Amino acid sequence: MERLKYLRPCAWTGPVFLMVFIVFWGLFSNNIPPIAADTSAALVADFFRDSANMVRLGMTMAMSFVVFYFIWGLAIAKVIELGIERENNVMSTLALWGAGLTVVPILVSCSFWLTGSYRPEALDDSVLQMLYDMAWLLIDLGYMVTTVQMCAIGIGFLSDEREVPLVPKWFAWYGIWVGFSFIAEVFMPFFTSGIFARHGMLNFWIEFFLWFFWIVGMTYYTLGAISRLEAEARGETVSAGARGTPGMAGASA
Amino acid sequence: MVAATRPRAVGDEGVWFFITADISLFAVLFAAFMHARYGAPGLFEDSRQALNTSLGTLNTLILLTSSWQVALAVHAAREGLRDQVLRYLGLGMLVGVGFAVTKAIEYADKIRAGLTMVHNDFFMFYWALTGLHFVHFLVGMVVLGVCLHKARRDPLDARFLIWIESGGCYWHMVDLLWIMIFPMIYLLGAA
Repeated sequence: MERLKYLRPCAWTGPVFLMVFIVFWGLFSNNIPPIAADTSAALVADFFRDSANMVRLGMTMAMSFVVFYFIWGLAIAKVIELGIERENNVMSTLALWGAGLTVVPILVSCSFWLTGSYRPEALDDSVLQMLYDMAWLLIDLGYMVTTVQMCAIGIGFLSDEREVPLVPKWFAWYGIWVGFSFIAEVFMPFFTSGIFARHGMLNFWIEFFLWFFWIVGMTYYTLGAISRLEAEARGETVSAGARGTPGMAGASA
Repeated sequence: MVAATRPRAVGDEGVWFFITADISLFAVLFAAFMHARYGAPGLFEDSRQALNTSLGTLNTLILLTSSWQVALAVHAAREGLRDQVLRYLGLGMLVGVGFAVTKAIEYADKIRAGLTMVHNDFFMFYWALTGLHFVHFLVGMVVLGVCLHKARRDPLDARFLIWIESGGCYWHMVDLLWIMIFPMIYLLGAA
């Protein structure tokens, strides 16, 4: 049981990250949806000048809480390491590094948005547009570190040989698929309009919301998995058909 | 009364989720292509005529042949015939290499002609759809390579059967996607 200590609060940092990200990065800073890539520099500059305080607050909060993604990733990696892996911990290590490295492009891109809002009246329109573009190019094109995390987590949970696996196979595959589908982001730098642009249907609306759903689902199953591992440590078993849930209804002595 | 047993799914059940999700994402792209085409039929038709239909047809035949070989390998694996599994998988991969070669020729031709991704909306979709499909093809070749390696080294047991059936299903999906992409991009004429 000692090995599982702290994992549950770590797992709860995922929803906290997601909530802060959506509210402060997304809504306060006007990133859900982003300003269209074919918008003129003057309009982008107007956005920074008119919404400077909202963006400052939004990005400050997003930068403060983004590390929660790493802490959440640690909980998942530990569940794989303690609950599934035996001698080979490659997948849990990749999952942990992937979570940690995902923090970097988010943090740095937020600093670009924050820079734009810091003294927008002193910067040229084209500089403000460049900062906005840089932020979006980095946060989108940094996708591969998250892909590594998602695929490692998926493969890690697919290696589970329990009759009732800690995470259902379909959800493990869902994570792999979402991580794989992020590859569409490679088209984003080539377009300022259409489905592949930063504000486009595929590269924003579909990809970001698939990722958000994965965070929610992964948190739910991780909390269930922690309960399962605690029950196993107490010598209890889980009956077939009763998957681990945060409340752990299926355990029996 | 004998309890009804659920028939075993071909391959890993989770792979079917992946395949369904992946095809759904491509369906969104297909719908976006058709929507864009509806808005500019003349441009799409003029651009389409710059494509090499013969190479597209060859690609289709290559993928169908490769899929056929992989299907034969799956049947051989069910019979426990290791030599045949190795032969059919090897042939499936060898034929598959032809797809990469013809695609390389086609892509080089388009780049030389200046028909890159930013040329117009038609070529945006051409490069995106065939490019994403090509990435799926490369992943499929790696999966078949892993199956070939396992067929040499491991017993042809239930575990191996899951591997080769799952790999085969994925390879057929690559095939199926191409069968959608080829007529839609290469053949569909102006209304």
